[in-house]
Amino acid sequence: MSWMSPWIEGIGILDSAPAWVLAALSLIVIYIFIVVPCAALISYLDRKLTADFQARVGPNQAGPAGIFQPLVDGLKLLQKQPRDPVSWREAAWLSVHTMALYSTVAVLPLGSAVLLVDTDMSAFLPFWSALVLALGTMLLGFSQSGVPGWFGGIRVAAQTLAGAFPALIALLCSGVAAGGFRWSLLAAAQGTSPLQWTAFANPFQFLAFAVFVVSGLVTLGIPPMDAPFSSTDTHGGVSSGLWGRRYILFRLGRFYGFFLWSVIAVTIFLGAWSLPFGGSDYLREQGYLRLLQTLELLWLLLKTLLLMILVIWAARVNPRTRVDQVTDFAWTVLSPFALLALIGASVVVAWGYFQ
Amino acid sequence: MSIQHPLEECLKTDLATWEIGPYDAALPGPMKLRLSLDGEVVVSAAYETGFLHRGLEKAFEQQPWRAVVAYSDYLDTDGSIFGELAVCLAVEEIARIEVPRRGQYVRVLLSELGRISAHLGYIVRVAKAMNAETIIHYVLRDRERVLDLFELATGARYTLNYLRFGGIQTDITDGFVERVLEVCELFRVRLKEYNDLFTYNHAFLKRTQGLGVLSADRAAALGVTGPNGRASGHAFDVRKAHPYSGYDLFDFAVPSAGGIERDEGASVGDANDRFLLRLREISTSVDLLKQAAEGIPSGEFNYFGWGEKAIIPSGEAYSRVETSRGLLGCHVVSDGGPSPTRIQFRPPSLAHFSAIPELVKGIRLEDLPVLLATLDPGISEADR
Repeated sequence: MSWMSPWIEGIGILDSAPAWVLAALSLIVIYIFIVVPCAALISYLDRKLTADFQARVGPNQAGPAGIFQPLVDGLKLLQKQPRDPVSWREAAWLSVHTMALYSTVAVLPLGSAVLLVDTDMSAFLPFWSALVLALGTMLLGFSQSGVPGWFGGIRVAAQTLAGAFPALIALLCSGVAAGGFRWSLLAAAQGTSPLQWTAFANPFQFLAFAVFVVSGLVTLGIPPMDAPFSSTDTHGGVSSGLWGRRYILFRLGRFYGFFLWSVIAVTIFLGAWSLPFGGSDYLREQGYLRLLQTLELLWLLLKTLLLMILVIWAARVNPRTRVDQVTDFAWTVLSPFALLALIGASVVVAWGYFQ
Repeated sequence: MSIQHPLEECLKTDLATWEIGPYDAALPGPMKLRLSLDGEVVVSAAYETGFLHRGLEKAFEQQPWRAVVAYSDYLDTDGSIFGELAVCLAVEEIARIEVPRRGQYVRVLLSELGRISAHLGYIVRVAKAMNAETIIHYVLRDRERVLDLFELATGARYTLNYLRFGGIQTDITDGFVERVLEVCELFRVRLKEYNDLFTYNHAFLKRTQGLGVLSADRAAALGVTGPNGRASGHAFDVRKAHPYSGYDLFDFAVPSAGGIERDEGASVGDANDRFLLRLREISTSVDLLKQAAEGIPSGEFNYFGWGEKAIIPSGEAYSRVETSRGLLGCHVVSDGGPSPTRIQFRPPSLAHFSAIPELVKGIRLEDLPVLLATLDPGISEADR
């Protein structure tokens, strides 16, 4: 785990630890210090900004301006007793969920020096995990032993299948431009200035970017495409029977899917982690590795959070779309546009090649 | 005897039944709905009401006449003024009391404010059914202004207890009329804002157009009146057909379906029509409010002077009022005693309920809350 070395140098016990221990440690570190705080931050920003849009106050009791609200919510949910013993179906869901979660943390691109798995197929691995996550969510819905959970599970399956196709095609577009699906390659293909980002390289790439973000909403069931979790007709769908610790796990999984998707979108379309004004190269030359990792991570997270907030903003003013309309939209609108973007992007690349 | 293929037996599908209620987010209030589902499509539905029965009509008989108005507030708290008005009109007919002009105008003012308030509540319920959060807060913010006006005039925000046999309880406060005019101006602006934010939202149109189409014939046959009936083209409005409380003095047009440009796939009497018609009715109410506020005469506001007691002779009368949901009938029987012999209501929502089983056929489960919210049956007045 080379990226950890600048941080653990001089700690004797870790210097001599085997690689798999370090790998496991790094996953836990990323999960606890990046994913969970981001979830808290987004849930706070979501509530506060939404309150501003809707002419109300929002959380303001826990801490100054209510910043501890996510923490308080979490603690409250942790205190709750489980209603009934864990069933084997729920256990299956939990293990699938955990597998998906941890496998994606390993492939999460978080900076030029924080790439745990950087293979030729890197960019596809999170997709696989998103699909597994969806499978877990569907099983969870079925395990609710009630009509709402059943409908939720079916809707999850329908939306994930419908959204995955255009998303994969959109991913191909960026791969075509970059010449491969390595995170490092995808990032290196883009410059630091927004004009050099893949999304703004040409209209086809921008189309691909838009398709990618929207099909992410479809695949993961993020508002306003969240029919599987609809509270009015199916009492929350998949999550209808969850509360307490299991509900926290479920919410974290949902957030993680959204977060993962946004990180990928930023990495492949919005300039990845390269610091503005050539900062990354300068820091690397000077050997400030810790600073480089920290700043790149913060820069990437900033762009990710902004993208997420944009999506939340759109979700707040739009009514929830019906599940059959969502799948129709994915197959008959997103998919053709994704194919168009792929053809266009390929032509642009070929044109550059022949020049 | 035919041998069934084993696979066929495994894959045999059947209709699913699901009973929702009495408490469910999809329902407009405490009621039960027994759904028969083919996948996500509703094949048939049967409803059961009565979970909110409070014995209101019986309560009237056990109370003195002066308690009647206070009790009628609870017929439907969304628009409590309509219940009061229906009872008062019937009792005044029995006792041959003539309401002074000023009292009539104030009643019209409060009725139309009540209609606006109820229709704003309707927008909130529809938006809530499809999880459009932002519009809810904007509408509720504006409804506060209407409730403030109620508070200014009557001291209460919901259950007003303001009308009296022969007029109103006390004269309206100074500055009330000016503030009504301010609210009229506000709603001219706000209606456009709601349209920009919600009415013309593509996702909203996609979900409501063509949903739950009620034809004019069926509306008339089922007795569906009010905005729901007019949205289907069944243009009946008590304010026009049988004017009461001086409504014949005002110049207003009752909106009705038809004459609106329609997108493809939309038909007269669908959920979107019902929603649009409420918005247009708010606009009509604003017109009426303006006329009433500008033309309000001075003078007595009640037939009786301070401390005088109305004596209700024996007799019976039936009054009709156009509420925010439709035709509210009220039958009052008196034997000249200290309390009413019988007071019976004909709430408009009963007819809306009877339309549910035929409207839900073939819709998707996800549209059920939207359909029920746009139909907007009032459980409170139906169960009473």
